[in-house]
Amino acid sequence: MPPARQLLNWLGFAAGLVACSGATAADVEDSNSIVIEDPHYGEVLYYFYQQDYFPAIVRLLAARQQQQLPSHDAEAELLLGGMYLSYGHHLAAAEIFERLLADNVDPDVRDRTWFFLAKIWYQRGYLERSQQALGEISGELPQNLQREALLLEAQILIDSGEYDQAIARLQNWRGKTEWASYAKFNIGVALVRSGRVDAAAELLSDLGKLNPFNNELMALRDKANLALGYALLQEGQAGAAKASLQRVRLEGPFSNKALLGVGWADVELDNFQAALAPWMELKGRDLLDSAVQESMLAIPYAMAKLDSIGQAADHYLNATEAFREETERLEKTIQSIESGDFFGTFVNSSSLDSTGWYWQLETLPDAVESRYLFHLLATHEFQEGLKNYRDLNYLYRNLETWQSNIDVYSNMLETRREAYSVRLPVIEAALERADLAAMVGRKLEFDSTLNNIEAGTDWLALASRAEFATWGEITGLEKTPALQSDIPEAAEARDKIDLLKGVLQWQLERAFGDRLWRIRRELRQTGEALVDTQRLRRKIDESMRNEPLHFAALGGRVEDLYPRIEASKMRVEDALSAQRAFLQTIAVRELRAQQQRLDVYSIQARFALAAIYDIAASTGEAPE
Amino acid sequence: MPMAALMICLAGPGSTAFAQANVAPDDATGQVQTNAAAAGETVSERAQAQSLDQEVQALKNEVLDLNRDLFLLEEDLLFPANSQVAFFVSMDVGEYFALDSVNIRIDGKEVSNYLYTRREVDALIRGGVHRAHKANLKTGEHEVIAVFTGKGPHGRDYRRGATVTIDKGIGAKYLELEITDRVIKQQPEFVIKDWE
Repeated sequence: MPPARQLLNWLGFAAGLVACSGATAADVEDSNSIVIEDPHYGEVLYYFYQQDYFPAIVRLLAARQQQQLPSHDAEAELLLGGMYLSYGHHLAAAEIFERLLADNVDPDVRDRTWFFLAKIWYQRGYLERSQQALGEISGELPQNLQREALLLEAQILIDSGEYDQAIARLQNWRGKTEWASYAKFNIGVALVRSGRVDAAAELLSDLGKLNPFNNELMALRDKANLALGYALLQEGQAGAAKASLQRVRLEGPFSNKALLGVGWADVELDNFQAALAPWMELKGRDLLDSAVQESMLAIPYAMAKLDSIGQAADHYLNATEAFREETERLEKTIQSIESGDFFGTFVNSSSLDSTGWYWQLETLPDAVESRYLFHLLATHEFQEGLKNYRDLNYLYRNLETWQSNIDVYSNMLETRREAYSVRLPVIEAALERADLAAMVGRKLEFDSTLNNIEAGTDWLALASRAEFATWGEITGLEKTPALQSDIPEAAEARDKIDLLKGVLQWQLERAFGDRLWRIRRELRQTGEALVDTQRLRRKIDESMRNEPLHFAALGGRVEDLYPRIEASKMRVEDALSAQRAFLQTIAVRELRAQQQRLDVYSIQARFALAAIYDIAASTGEAPE
Repeated sequence: MPMAALMICLAGPGSTAFAQANVAPDDATGQVQTNAAAAGETVSERAQAQSLDQEVQALKNEVLDLNRDLFLLEEDLLFPANSQVAFFVSMDVGEYFALDSVNIRIDGKEVSNYLYTRREVDALIRGGVHRAHKANLKTGEHEVIAVFTGKGPHGRDYRRGATVTIDKGIGAKYLELEITDRVIKQQPEFVIKDWE
């Protein structure tokens, strides 16, 4: 599991850094424990869980700037650190962790974090930083991590040539796990490199006879046997070397070199006939492998030793031709790599969804070059370089997308600005027509009139139009001169008018309270509507004041971002070129080394051939 | 010895091969690195690799910050805070419902129809929240309908709707379209609510 993911697993962002001390990967996997308080934090997790680290980080940074994560502040910081790591932004991640670790953090949390940082830095080639991080571990790590930390420390020492220190670190290793086997192997390697072959032989011999229970251990056993075999060969112990080399599986990544070594062990034992068997097996294998190449010279050498000069000459001729063809293919490959096309296949052959730390080249691009760079592609240096190359390419495309988007936004803003300037005079004219102050004045006038009506109980003032007309008619009739005469008919008419007037007045007085309440309610509603309108008006005024400022602010941001995109794009482009050039240099160096080896082999083959012809000429015999 | 000259021409026993086979584990996982490649890891190359890596780190920082600013600009431009309404889909457990898609209608008009991949559903189940739609709405009442499609209990096709009338005021509004398991009924439940 990549170290960044391991780190995230145990950190358990849900619980927060301090509460993390007891968290395990299983705790973190239990999503039920995560309660999302802020939706934007949940959105970050949505991308994070899909391993889309770049958009997840961008959303987290944006949400934090907008203060949209009030409930997840602590976890957000930790999550950001973890995501930076996953994205391969290890220096920024380290800054966060170093800051968090400086606080009062559980020692267990601190030690584990230092361990994972050490591991990541080692992979990226920051050996000193890695060593420093290991030095920060003050307590006991859990057992499996403790073993890994010790191995890592020893590996750093071996890489730096400090073999004795590496041996000292690993010597007291106890246990029967596969880690113990790795430790043994590393000690063996350190011993061989420091010239103590006998001591190494004991360790590697044990390892070479182990009973492997998985593929990794099988490979380790092969490696141990191979390393031991060649160490013994160099020490002149051919018999022991052969036994060790013969323990290497016939069909494994180390089989070619083992077969070659077995042959040379036989040669050392003066058994040239026997040497031919493994070498002939090698001859049919991929010529790309240096062991196979060397076997093409070794076979005629053994044949010559067996006095089969004619056959030897044929083999030398074949080898010379094969080496020449291979050298030509290598030259073409070098030219292709130097043209820069090859590295394009790494970014074009698969989607760019996955970036950062976890990306690994799992299948080689379908190109001639891949075959020659097989070993190189397996190295940390090249893989990490490729990761950076892909990440840079992602950044470049990201910036390209933004560059076209920002053009759209700029146009959009301009369109809005124009639309606003067209609408503004229309709105201003409408606002002028709507004289709010006069409306308020009229409303106040109404209030005052209504107050007077209420105070004077002026029920007639609230009469309907019909009632008012009837009232006018009745009072008009009252004043009719004929009705003033003192005759019974007039008196009867006056009584009727009084009755009518009384009924109408009674009705108006009875309805007065209700009418007054209704009018007051309506007036109150009108007042409220007027207040709303005034508030709205203030907002419109505010908008009219602010909108140009808002446009200006957005326009300013767009203008500010334009050159930033352009500048970043240029820098990314430069970095892409530099990264590509770096990868090209390593690749071409690897291929040149292969070419040089072939050149040496070709010279040796030609020289040997010439010698054969010389001998044949001097003895008067032509090679058969 | 007629072959003596040949002996001299040829490399000693396994000289080249030995150099290559002197393998060392380049890390604790036991991956193999040949010496041919290891020898190439010169100090200057490592320094160059580090210098390039540091440049890449700085660029990542720069572009991430730039993306943050651009993301915020885009939000401000397209969805001003006053009119913004965001719809977040969340999922709790997911025992009784395997989500396929969510369809959102506002005031009778379809505004989003999102089809989920397996990876996205996994992210939801693990606690992620998907912003399925973002819109600008005028203040006032709006009817929101969400239709959830997928596989229900016993793998049967399942399609359920949830509706709510929201009162959009001034300021951003966040709605949660929540899918939960109703253990008692052994059925999924779909709710639209204000994110609180």
